[in-house]
Amino acid sequence: MHQTAGRGDTIKHVFMAPAFLLVLTVTLFPLIYALVVSFQSIRLVPPLPPRFVGVDNYADILGSARFWGSMYTTATIVFISTAFQYVLGFALAIALHHNVAGARLYRVTFLLPMFLAPVCVALIARMIFHPFLGPVNDAIEGMGFDNVPFLTEPNLAIATLITIEVWQWTPFVTLLMLAGLQSLPEEVFEAAKVDDIPAWRRFWDITFPMLLPLSVAVIFIRLIEGFKVIDTVFVLTGGGPGTATETLTLFAYNEGFKKFNLGYTSALSFTFLIVVIIAGTLYLALAARLIKRYQ
Amino acid sequence: MKKLLLSAAILPLGTAAMACEPDFTGVTLNVSTQNGPFVASALAMAGQAWEEKTCGEVNVVEFPFGELYPKFLTAMSQQTGDFDVIGFVPAWLPDFAPFLSTMPADLQAGTDWEDIHPVYRERLMVWDGEVKSATMDGDMHMLNLRADLMEDPDEMAAFEAEYGYPLGDPLTWAQYYDIAAHFHRPDEDLYGTAEAFRRGGQQFWYFFSHAASYTNNPNNPGSMFFDPETMDAQVNNPGWVRALEEYKKSLDFSPPGALNFGSGDVRPLYAGGTVAMNIDWADSGVLGATEGSIAGNVRTAMLPGSTEIWNHVTGDWDTFDEPVASPFLAFGGWQAGVPADSQNQEAAWDYVATLTSPEQSGIAIVTANTGVNPYRFSHYEDLDNWSNTFTPEEAASYLGAQRASLDAPNVALDLRLPGFFSYTEILEIELSKALAGEVTPQEALDTIAAEWDELTDEFGRETQLSAYRASVGLPPL
Amino acid sequence: MAAPDTSIAVPAPAARNDTKRRFGARGWKRVGLVLAAVWFFFCVFPLYFVLVTAFKPPIAVSQGPTYIPWVDYEPTLQAFRDAASGLRGDFVGPVVSSVMVSLTATTLSVFLGTMAAYALVRFEFRIRLLSGVVFAVIAIGGFVVLTERYDWTVPYALLAVMLAALLVSNLVNRLPLPGPVLGNNDVTFWFVSQRIFPPIVAAFALFLLYAEIGRAGLTMLDSFGGLVVAYTAFGLPFAVWLMRDFLSTVPVEVEEAALVDDIGRFRIFFQIVLPMAVPGLIATSMVVLAFIWNEFLFALLLTSADWQTLPILIAGQNSSRGDEWWAISVAALIAIVPMVVVAGLLGRMMRSGLLAGSIK
Repeated sequence: MHQTAGRGDTIKHVFMAPAFLLVLTVTLFPLIYALVVSFQSIRLVPPLPPRFVGVDNYADILGSARFWGSMYTTATIVFISTAFQYVLGFALAIALHHNVAGARLYRVTFLLPMFLAPVCVALIARMIFHPFLGPVNDAIEGMGFDNVPFLTEPNLAIATLITIEVWQWTPFVTLLMLAGLQSLPEEVFEAAKVDDIPAWRRFWDITFPMLLPLSVAVIFIRLIEGFKVIDTVFVLTGGGPGTATETLTLFAYNEGFKKFNLGYTSALSFTFLIVVIIAGTLYLALAARLIKRYQ
Repeated sequence: MKKLLLSAAILPLGTAAMACEPDFTGVTLNVSTQNGPFVASALAMAGQAWEEKTCGEVNVVEFPFGELYPKFLTAMSQQTGDFDVIGFVPAWLPDFAPFLSTMPADLQAGTDWEDIHPVYRERLMVWDGEVKSATMDGDMHMLNLRADLMEDPDEMAAFEAEYGYPLGDPLTWAQYYDIAAHFHRPDEDLYGTAEAFRRGGQQFWYFFSHAASYTNNPNNPGSMFFDPETMDAQVNNPGWVRALEEYKKSLDFSPPGALNFGSGDVRPLYAGGTVAMNIDWADSGVLGATEGSIAGNVRTAMLPGSTEIWNHVTGDWDTFDEPVASPFLAFGGWQAGVPADSQNQEAAWDYVATLTSPEQSGIAIVTANTGVNPYRFSHYEDLDNWSNTFTPEEAASYLGAQRASLDAPNVALDLRLPGFFSYTEILEIELSKALAGEVTPQEALDTIAAEWDELTDEFGRETQLSAYRASVGLPPL
Repeated sequence: MAAPDTSIAVPAPAARNDTKRRFGARGWKRVGLVLAAVWFFFCVFPLYFVLVTAFKPPIAVSQGPTYIPWVDYEPTLQAFRDAASGLRGDFVGPVVSSVMVSLTATTLSVFLGTMAAYALVRFEFRIRLLSGVVFAVIAIGGFVVLTERYDWTVPYALLAVMLAALLVSNLVNRLPLPGPVLGNNDVTFWFVSQRIFPPIVAAFALFLLYAEIGRAGLTMLDSFGGLVVAYTAFGLPFAVWLMRDFLSTVPVEVEEAALVDDIGRFRIFFQIVLPMAVPGLIATSMVVLAFIWNEFLFALLLTSADWQTLPILIAGQNSSRGDEWWAISVAALIAIVPMVVVAGLLGRMMRSGLLAGSIK
């Protein structure tokens, strides 16, 4: 390849193009379709002719208590579980990186939850938390306490959903942070060791800042993936009682895949997209500031 | 495909020693339903029989039950031609009907046709005056009881002393709760009853089973869910309110955590001997008799009834001297349909004929784990058929209860209406709120009624009304 | 987001007086040990319970929890026999298609994503916001006009507007127009934002598109190609972002030396950059693999008789027959075994001598 032409101007496009075009091809039509449909009233069942309704769908959504309720439920689950995932996952990664006793065993097992389909995790969780046939309540009753209604009391149900999210996705953080730790240059730490800087400070002053960009990415990915939580809710509580544990994706799923109320669901998706893009931009701007301060 | 079929037929086939009648050599049918073993194994069994008979091939494709509806609907509406036969649920027939082909006329006559119970043949298989599907499984809610408790002399004496009438199959819901209270002994790990209460756990069918007794008025046929003249929702009338209050009362006699039970949780509780009775489809009985700790003691009864039924026309309760049984055909049994976009219509319907033939279905109903329950007259008559599953007493009560339910003059049919999921979604949400005590039964039902009326208006009141009248067997207005 | 500048500044040691009690390395090691042990139990107990449940007869489930085979109950292989006989759905087909599709798509998306990430780390992209707007207007407007007005079928209309929009916006980008200019961070964010859109409508729309392409003559539904294309696109955003962060720690000096030697960019990429980024590549592959392996909604709509994937089958164990936990457990074990093999292999690579810095 020539480096003459505009200082690698061509070559950078060659590197970028396959990924860019593939993502564009697969996502462009769904976006256009959803955008067009979001201004229509369109249902597959019962089959009514599509009708242009302007921004009615959006107005409906913004005025719907159910939408905001599901947004609140989802945000609660996502923010709390991501915080736990990050702190626990990072701590575990450091422990593994320092070859804590038994690290070999952990390395084999700690990834497994991540590779179980969420619906599978949900079914397992239903078994574990079953009020009557599950081991958790068995242990609680064995210790002389009352049966705990993990899945029927809204707050407990949400706490249970958070626990499951943490169980399944902490490995994700551990894996990536471990890889991040392993790609840090050794020399820096050697120098710090020679200067006899305590371990705690070494972490805060060296490891943490250097892994900040990766942390920002990991947290953001967990946040946007976490917002799609559906299977555990669907299997464990069905969104009930009432709509107390209904998450946004479950709401959208029922509207889109059961009622085939496609216009409404599309508007729902776009509302969500806009909210997250704004939140995400703010988050990344803040993160960029934080990174700058550390450098 | 046609070409292939032709050339295969012309070629002298060495292997085709036995005649293929009719000859579907080279045809592969994609038959789709929920993941096995239930229903799917019945389709596969019938597939083998059909393959031997016609030299065609059957490929069973399975999807999770929860996703079956969107999968079939999207595939048929886009005419992907993915499926030649689908196994589905009567409640979806109104939404699927536009994409399904009509049953060939020659299948709608003869002794095999007459052998199907008319509730299926004339009601559930029909939409808009056309036979759009073939019932391959009979289904209804029943009451499962235990002979080891119900026929225990000590219990019988104690019960009669306490309640003043002999212990037996309950004829009214009041009696049902007497029995539940009598056997409710949490300290002995025995609970009164089990029903499903979880949102998304088939909860509303249990509620409907209660409601049928108070709202399916024989004097006003077809008025259980909607007013068949105006399509006004009836779901908040006093009959429904009473049903919800009682349904909620079942929680008091259930094992801990019952609020989160789906129908799947109810079954092992009964089969494992944890509860004295439960309400379920025919599956609890089979599970209890084959894999449970109560084997030999499975007893089945028709759902309880009522001496009072709400009359929405007079706005008052009608009273009857004897309890009126209004057994509810919850779910209504799996059906087979042939999508209009199937490339193999003829072969597909031929397969359906094999699947639902008295011989093939007679095997299916007594084969473990097919999930197929009786729906033909011939099924109910052959008790010996059941000796592998049930004791003679069990078989007699199991079949007797099903037959009696279907034959009951005031049998209640399940809700079938275009936009089924839109109607049941709000129902499930409000029901679970009422059960959790967040709102009163009256408030919950008022919300449901208002939402149902709104949905009816949105979908078009006229079209929904005529669809509803058709579904309950009333002539057009 | 990672700064394009990859040189690592060593932060100055803290000037503040450390008044806290000195907590030595040994103390921290103990904390780590406890944490790891607690996590190990938390992580493994459910898996253990799944393992033992797979061998339970129904009676050992329906009468309350049991824990230890031979002590609490008599183990049976019945659930495995059921699965092998195809009673609960054919496991072989979905396992094969899941393995083929997810390995292919993961490899593709990590490879293509790393290429894009490399471009983002080593080169500067400048895209005018205005040209992005032009792209959107031409694509959306053009598509609506072509399909509604001129009755073009979806695939051709899509192809046409994409080409036209790319061409025009590319030209616009070269003009000295006003408005903000987007940089590398924004390109990365664009990739990631493709994952934000809730999958419900997206899955249905992709299903529509595939159906339309099928009508135009190219089978995409229920085909290997269709699935791989979709899943590669899903894996790409994360692959790009994560690899960008991992590549940014690869020192640029080595490459500069190579550039002086006039070695082509591709050779640099393959022979220098990729080997140095192995831990990141492995971690990213595992993450992408996990996403693809578990994907449900798209698989549901895009597959049928031939290419059904494992998550569909597993969801099907949640049957109308009730929770048959022994069967669910067997399905869970079947789903996890191929991943144990993959994770084991990748984990071994991660531990091997390729790792540069390991502070001990």
